[in-house]
Amino acid sequence: MLARLDAAGARRGRVVGVTGAPGAGKSTLVGELAVRLVAAAPGRAVAVLAVDPSSPVSGGALLGDRTRVRFPAGEPRLYFRSQAAAGELGGVARTTFQVCRLLTRLFDVVFVETVGVGQSEIEIVRVADRTYLIVPPLAGDHVQFMKAGIMELPDAFVVSKADVGEPASATFHALRASLRLARPGAEVPLHRVSARTGAGVDTLCAEILTGPAGAGVEARAAHFFERWVAAEHGRRGVARLTAAGGAAAYVAAHGGFEAAQAAFDGEVGA
Amino acid sequence: MSDQPPHVLVGKDGAPAPDRPWIFRTYAGHSSPRASNQLYRANLEQGQTGLSIAFDLPTQCGYSSDDPVARPEVGKVGVPINSLDDFHVLFEGIPLDRMNTSMTINGTAMWLLALYVALARERGVPETALKGTTQNDIVKEYLARGTYIFPPEHSLRLVAETYEYCVDHVPEWNPSNICSYHLQEAGATPLQEVAFALANAIGILDLLRERGRIDDERFARCVGRISFFVNAGIRFVEEMCKMRAFGALWDDICRDRYGITNPKYRLFRYGVQVNSLGLTESQPENNAWRILLEALGVTLSRNARCRALQLPTWNEAMSLPRPWDQQWSLRLQQILAFETDLLEYPDLFDGSPVVASKVAAICDGARGEIDRILAMGGVRGAIDAGYMKSQLVRSMADRMASINRGDQVVVGVNRWTDGLPSPLVGGDDGGVFRVDPAAVEEAMTALAATRARRDAGRVRDALARLEAAARSGDNLMEPSIECALARVTTGEWANALRGVFGEYRALTGIDGQTLDLAPDRLATLRARIDGFAAAHGHRPRLVVGKPGLDGHSNGAEVIAVAARHAGFDVVYSGIRLTPDEIVASAVEEDADLIGVSILSGSHLELTDQLMATLRRHGAEIPVVLGGIVPRDDVAELQARGVAQVFTPADYQLIDVVDRMMDVIEARR
Repeated sequence: MLARLDAAGARRGRVVGVTGAPGAGKSTLVGELAVRLVAAAPGRAVAVLAVDPSSPVSGGALLGDRTRVRFPAGEPRLYFRSQAAAGELGGVARTTFQVCRLLTRLFDVVFVETVGVGQSEIEIVRVADRTYLIVPPLAGDHVQFMKAGIMELPDAFVVSKADVGEPASATFHALRASLRLARPGAEVPLHRVSARTGAGVDTLCAEILTGPAGAGVEARAAHFFERWVAAEHGRRGVARLTAAGGAAAYVAAHGGFEAAQAAFDGEVGA
Repeated sequence: MSDQPPHVLVGKDGAPAPDRPWIFRTYAGHSSPRASNQLYRANLEQGQTGLSIAFDLPTQCGYSSDDPVARPEVGKVGVPINSLDDFHVLFEGIPLDRMNTSMTINGTAMWLLALYVALARERGVPETALKGTTQNDIVKEYLARGTYIFPPEHSLRLVAETYEYCVDHVPEWNPSNICSYHLQEAGATPLQEVAFALANAIGILDLLRERGRIDDERFARCVGRISFFVNAGIRFVEEMCKMRAFGALWDDICRDRYGITNPKYRLFRYGVQVNSLGLTESQPENNAWRILLEALGVTLSRNARCRALQLPTWNEAMSLPRPWDQQWSLRLQQILAFETDLLEYPDLFDGSPVVASKVAAICDGARGEIDRILAMGGVRGAIDAGYMKSQLVRSMADRMASINRGDQVVVGVNRWTDGLPSPLVGGDDGGVFRVDPAAVEEAMTALAATRARRDAGRVRDALARLEAAARSGDNLMEPSIECALARVTTGEWANALRGVFGEYRALTGIDGQTLDLAPDRLATLRARIDGFAAAHGHRPRLVVGKPGLDGHSNGAEVIAVAARHAGFDVVYSGIRLTPDEIVASAVEEDADLIGVSILSGSHLELTDQLMATLRRHGAEIPVVLGGIVPRDDVAELQARGVAQVFTPADYQLIDVVDRMMDVIEARR
C-alpha cells in the first residue's frame, strides 16, 4: 500500500514529536496547533497520533486526549487517532513507526504526542523528525532540569500555559539558563505559548513547518527494524542481525522495511 | 427567660410554641410552560408551600428550543423557557410577592433571574418583594453536573454580579445555593461534601471581596445570603451529624475569615433534596422507606434543620415522576411536620457525647481538606488541577466496589433480591411518566410567535448592550433584564456571551482510577480479552461518549474505568457531543464498540440520530447504551439497533463489561 501511495505521488509529511509530563498541556496545545495549521493553508492536512500508557496490570488503556481536542465538525483535513503504548518503554507503541509511515504519506504534519520523558522514555526522538518538549509553569528549578537528563535530546522547548504570568516566566528563564549549561553554543529554540489566549502559537506553528528536521520517516527504518527483530526474535535474533552487518545494512540490502522483515523471518524459519 | 422545663420549646414571649415547618417543595417542571404551570398550581393546592422549578437541558445549557442540538431534549427533564413570554405563562395565577421560588439553574442562572425580575416589573410587583433562590453554583457544574457554558473565570464573574445586583435590588433573594447535593450524587463522602461545599462558598465570598465593588456593610449582607443545597443519604445518623458540622464550621468561617459580627449572617441556611443515588430500580417500593429515613436526617436536629425540603419519588430510578408520585412524597413531609410531635421540641441532640464526638470528627477532617484546597489556590486552583474531580471519581469507584463486594448492603440489590412482584409498577403506564409530544410542540409554537411579535430593533440594541458590558466588565444584570424585556431568547442571550467569553471543556478526572472487581471473575474476563487481542492483533477498542446535553458524566466515567481495568483500550470522548462527533470518533479510532450514556430521557431520539449517522458513514460498529431507561423502552431501543441496554439494575460492572465483550465477539 505504501508503495502504491508513493507511486501515486503521496505527500511527504513531517513527523513532529510532542512530549512532556502528564498535565503539561500537550493535548490542548496540539489541538490548537492542528486547527491553526489547517486554517492557514487550504491544501494542508494534519494528523494527531496520541499515545497513552497501558495499564501494566490489565493491559488496557484509557485514552482520554480526545476530550481536550475539539476539531471543527466534518473537517476532513484533520485526523485524530489514539494509540495505547501497550507496555513498551519509550512512550512509543510498537506500531507507532508503521502508523507514521502511512500517515506521513497522507498528511503534511503528523503530531505524535507521548506522555513522560526520562532517559528510558525518549524513543519519540527516534520516530519524529523534530521533537518538542512541553514544560508547564513551575515544572522545577534548573538543577532539576539538569538532573532529569531531558535537556540533551529535544530539538526545541515550549513553556506552556504562559497566560499564568509570573510562574511561566520563571520557568522560561530557568529553562534558558539550564540549556546554556547543557548545550553550550547551540541555538535551541525556546517558546512561550498559551493555548488559551493564543499567545506565541503562530510563531510556534511557523517553526514547526520550517525548523530543521530529520531526513524523513523512512531514514529511521534501521532503528525500528532492529527493535522489531528484538521483539520478534529476541536476543538471538539481534545477534544474528549484528553478524549480518547490522540493521542499516540489512534494510538497505533487502530494499526496505517490509522486505527486510520478510527476509529475516525466512532466514530464521519463522 | 422561660420557666418551662428543657423539653418544651418556647417562642419569643416565653410561652410554649412549636416551630413553623420548613418550606415544602417538589422539584417539578416538564413539557411546556403551560403544562408546568398547571402542575405547580395543583401542587400548591395540595399544600406545597414553595416552588422548585426544573428547567429542561437546553434552557440550562443556553440553547433555544429550536436549536438542532436542543431538539431531542426539549421539555424532557424540566420546563423549556425561551423568553419572558414563557415566564408569563409559567407563573400565571401565582403571586410573585408571596411565593418562594427556587430555580435549579446554573450556567444561565443570571438570565433566569433577569427574566424573573423582568416579569415582576411587567406585573408591577416591586423587585424588593421577590423571595427565592437561583442555584447558580457553577463550581459543582464543573465537578459533577456538567451544565456549564463558559470558562470558569467568566462563569464566576456572572455569579459575583448576581450578588452585587441582588444586595441592593432584590435583598431577600439567595443569589446562589452552594450545592453539596451533587457532590454526594457523584460519590462524595460526608467529609468531602462538607469540605468541598464550604471551600466553594469561600471561593465566592473571596471573589466578592477581591472585586471590591461592594462596601463592608453590603458584603456582610452577601455573607448572610449565602445558602446551601444539601443531600441527605441513607446513613441518616451520620447525615444529621454532618448537618451539625456544616453549621459549626460555617459559623467559624464567617466569623474568623470574614469578620462577620452579626450572628444572623453566620447562620448555615440550607435546603435539601434527599439522595437519589441510593434509590434502586429493583424493588422500587423500598425507596419510599429510604426517602423517609433520609428526610429524618435533615429534620430531627432542630439546630441543624433544613429551611426547605424536597423529596424525590419512589420511582425516580426508573423515570421522571408522575403527579401522583410527587403527591405521595409531599404527604410524607406533611405527616412528618403536622402529625408527629417533631416540631414541639428543642434540639434533641444537644449534650449527646456521641453526637458531639461524631460532629467533631467530621469538622476536623473537613478542616484539613479545606486547608488542602485553599493551598491549591482555592476551588479554582483545585478544579484546574483536576484535584476535586479525581477525588470524587475515586470515592465513587470505592462505593461501587463496596456494593459489588457486598460490604455495603443494598436491600433488594445485593441482599434479599428475590421479592414478590410489585403491584405499584403494574398500572397501565407501568409506573412511568411520559412527556406529551404535543406539549413540546406548544413550546416551539410559542417561541415562533415571540420571534414574530417582538421589536427587532430593541432586540438588536439589547444584545449589543449586553455584549458591550461583557467586554467592558460592567455588571451584566441590568443589560440582561433589558434583553428579557425585549424578548431576547435564551439561545440569543447565551450566544452573545459565548461570543465574548468562549466555551469551556472540562477535564475528565478518570485517569489513574481502578475498581475493585471480583478477582476470580476478573481473571476470567481478562483471559477472554487477552484471547481477543491475540486473535485480532489489538485489544478491544471502546469509544465512550455522552450525546445530547445531559452532563451527568459519572456513569460513563465508571464504565470507562471498568473496561480499561478489564483490559479494553478505551477512548473517552467526553460529554455534550452530537451523534456526529461520537460516530466520527469511533470511525477514526476504528472502534469495536460504541458506548453511550444518556440520563436525560432522550434515549430514543438520540439513538435514532446515532443509528442514522452510523448508516451515513457506512460504519457497522455496534452500540451499547446505559442510563435511566424505563423497562418498556429497553426492547424498543434494541429494536432500533442498540445491541445492549444497561440500566441502574446492572450495577455489577463486571457483568456490564462481560456483556460488552459478548456484543463485540458476536460481530466478529
